Amino acid sequence: MKAFETYLLDRAKTEGNHQLATYRKLGGYKSLEKVLETGITPQQVVEETKKSGLRGRGGAGFSTGMKWSFMPDATKDPRPRYLAINADESEPGTCKDRVLMEKDPHGLIEGSLLSAYAIRAKAVYIYVRGEYRLSYDRVASAVREARAAGLVGKNIAGSDFSCEIFMHKGAGAYICGEETGLMESLEGKRGHPRQKPPFPAQSGLWQSPTTVNNVETVFNAPFIMERGAAWFAGIGTPNSKGNFLVGISGHVNKPGVYELPFGVTAHEILEEKAGGMWKGRKLKAWFPGGSSCALLRGSDVDVVLDHDSLKARGSSLGTAAMVMMDDHTSIARVMEVIARFYEHESCGQCSQCREGTQWLSQIFRRIAHGRGQPDDIATLESLALGMAPGKTICALSDAAAIPTLSAVKLFKDELIECIRQQRDPLASPAPKYASVGAH
Amino acid sequence: MVKITVNGREIDADPTKPLIRACHDNGADVPIYCYHPGLTPVGSCRICQVEVKQGEAPGRVVVACRTNPVEGMVVDTESQKAHATRRECLEFLLKDHPLDCPICDKAGECDLQDFTFDEGQSAGRSNEPRRQLEKRKSLGEVIVLDEERCILCSRCVRFFEEVPKKAQLTVADLGWRSVIATFADRPLTGNYQGNIADLCPVGALTLKKFRFQARVWNLIKMSSTCVECSRGCSIQVEVLRGSDVKRFRPRTNPKVNGWWMCDVGRFAFDHANAGGRLEGARLREGTDLLQVPVEDALCALRDALMPAKSAAFVLSPFCTVEEGRAMLGLARRHNAEIAFVAPPPNGLKDDLLHTGDPCPNRRGLTELGIAGLTAAELAPRLVQAKVVVVAGERVAELLGAAVLQAIPPAANLFAFECHPFEARSLVALIGIPNHVERTGTIVNVDGVRGPLAAAKPAPRSVRALTRLLEDLERLSPRREAATR
Repeated sequence: MKAFETYLLDRAKTEGNHQLATYRKLGGYKSLEKVLETGITPQQVVEETKKSGLRGRGGAGFSTGMKWSFMPDATKDPRPRYLAINADESEPGTCKDRVLMEKDPHGLIEGSLLSAYAIRAKAVYIYVRGEYRLSYDRVASAVREARAAGLVGKNIAGSDFSCEIFMHKGAGAYICGEETGLMESLEGKRGHPRQKPPFPAQSGLWQSPTTVNNVETVFNAPFIMERGAAWFAGIGTPNSKGNFLVGISGHVNKPGVYELPFGVTAHEILEEKAGGMWKGRKLKAWFPGGSSCALLRGSDVDVVLDHDSLKARGSSLGTAAMVMMDDHTSIARVMEVIARFYEHESCGQCSQCREGTQWLSQIFRRIAHGRGQPDDIATLESLALGMAPGKTICALSDAAAIPTLSAVKLFKDELIECIRQQRDPLASPAPKYASVGAH
Repeated sequence: MVKITVNGREIDADPTKPLIRACHDNGADVPIYCYHPGLTPVGSCRICQVEVKQGEAPGRVVVACRTNPVEGMVVDTESQKAHATRRECLEFLLKDHPLDCPICDKAGECDLQDFTFDEGQSAGRSNEPRRQLEKRKSLGEVIVLDEERCILCSRCVRFFEEVPKKAQLTVADLGWRSVIATFADRPLTGNYQGNIADLCPVGALTLKKFRFQARVWNLIKMSSTCVECSRGCSIQVEVLRGSDVKRFRPRTNPKVNGWWMCDVGRFAFDHANAGGRLEGARLREGTDLLQVPVEDALCALRDALMPAKSAAFVLSPFCTVEEGRAMLGLARRHNAEIAFVAPPPNGLKDDLLHTGDPCPNRRGLTELGIAGLTAAELAPRLVQAKVVVVAGERVAELLGAAVLQAIPPAANLFAFECHPFEARSLVALIGIPNHVERTGTIVNVDGVRGPLAAAKPAPRSVRALTRLLEDLERLSPRREAATR
């Protein structure tokens, strides 16, 4: 791996960075103050971000500057405008935002305020996953500190820009990490995603123009404004710019969150950052970006970890949460666990998703427990095709169908063997929860 | 309006209304579960998938209830892709459905059953154990919920939120574990609970009063009008094999009741089914009222009216416009006073449908020139009259026994009623059909005319009031000669 410049996690390495004084010492809030003091207009921030090529880090990888530019013209639309920060990080395997919130909460606040400035939002809602107690506490106390220092609220840093930050704690539902589910939840309703259109930029929180951004996405904004779009665009591959956080987990020696520029291969990350596979075993399968993207074979580890390269291999970057599985891993068991997750987290609105996630889970559970039936593979495939793509209100149904389709395609022989032998040859130790319908 | 093409036919569609409206209005049979024209579309059941082409882009399958028509849109509801997507969706919906149609009250008018039959999906692929949930969960006095049959369309939830505007139901829990529940398990309240049984596209919400009462295909259904208040909701009267009314259900009428009706009206069929009906006619013989041919009773009335004595006519507020007109004619010929008994407001008024006025045809009768008076206002006039004719369904009940009893024995009381009653001045009782046994028109509070239908036969030798009055005319040739 070539040497590269880091910036995302630099401050996080300093002890006490979650406090304002230390953060300031490390150069914090300089970018925000620069923008506010030098009279850079919101439009210029949007343009700069567009030029930088920053893409959302929440999974979909949509251009951030483009998303901001979808907000209606503030001169023609009198409605209040909001920014919602999606910190409801609950994708299996993903743990990057947690590091940022715990170690660098002021970085998130600065990024949020800059983004709010860009879209002329009057308030920011930070929706933190309920289980992330330390993250919530750190960000909440950072907001208090920043407010006391005049950095949140009216006339930020003596400028005309006013923006309030509100904290919100999730209650444990994965679906509230879906942007429209998140907005429903913020409004105090059940986290049932909304049908799009209307898109949040047209009608979001309380029917007002809203942008929902991931923590890591807005975290990049101050660096882009401080060092320039050209600097940012100079890092990475043609369609994936900047540094990103990889959360690598599974059967590796050194699981963790690492900062990397786009352009490095998964193999380099595995070997040079995560210390290779544990116990000297071989990589059998891996998720490149959390459980919602397609599984890849171990041999695909030579892929460059960016949006285009992963797409070419039939998967996606997602949240860059690499879940590595060694050759002792049973795919039937993996899929049982993944399918059970989606079964548990489907909100239940759409028929395909409500019943489909449950059905997939039931079939994988049977296969993994030696009760598979000969037509199960075909059923799995057609069910997954009935659930995706784009057949439901939100993408949770797709998220359950995509790994299923990839598992059925790449590891068909192994699943068939499980069904034929009426036991899982790789099952070890015996799964503890065998009863159907138990949670 | 925009021009779109639905199944090859170019039509004008309202771009503010969901595409499903344009499809349904133009004969395209697209199934719906969560969509209801009277409720906000949510697009959660995903069954109304149709193929849509815009410009040169390849066709895509969209849910018709959450897509709005756009100029030049080409819609194909019957394309292979649309059918395939709907079939997939249907399979998911049927995965845990109990398929207890043989014992389900909804069978025969169930959207899920109909569409499954249409799509010809007769075998399921699921070998998994079916979800077992509460089969009989009482949701108050009106509704019972079968959680297993529910397909979570949330129409009932939205109904309470949007129509009576008081949320009472919710979807509890998550994913496939979702069930319909009331808040804190409290029973449902209010006068509009019954509507959710109509709304339910499957047999999950059923009326306690209709449970196991009839197979719906045995019901004869007639369009009629509710007579419980002056709103006059358009209803359908459903009669089992020509005997009992089993159900009143709202009939869509945007001018009056939309898609809804209140529970007071919905369950008012006990009165229509009540036994002990007055058949033919009864005539006073000494202290007894004896069963006589109707003509005998009519002759007695003719004879009583013949001398120019002071007569008073009292109609029931349930009289139709036609009955009112006929009675008015008779009253004018005999220079008799005429009014209809109008009970005071019954306190059921709400801001949705119920007007609180128990006189269904108040407007129709008033427009004829017949005034509505309370029983107390009528009482002194009846005491003075020599001949009192009370006519119409429930007129004796509405006047009250005390008022009828106060009519002196010297006066002659004639009654056209559905049920027999006793009063000391009573000379003759003549049976008439009730509101599900006769035709006619009533005019509601806003002036909208609604029909009554003869949904079931009247009791033996009972003729309509209008017909009885014609017969009375036929029996009175002398009167015409005398006036000439």
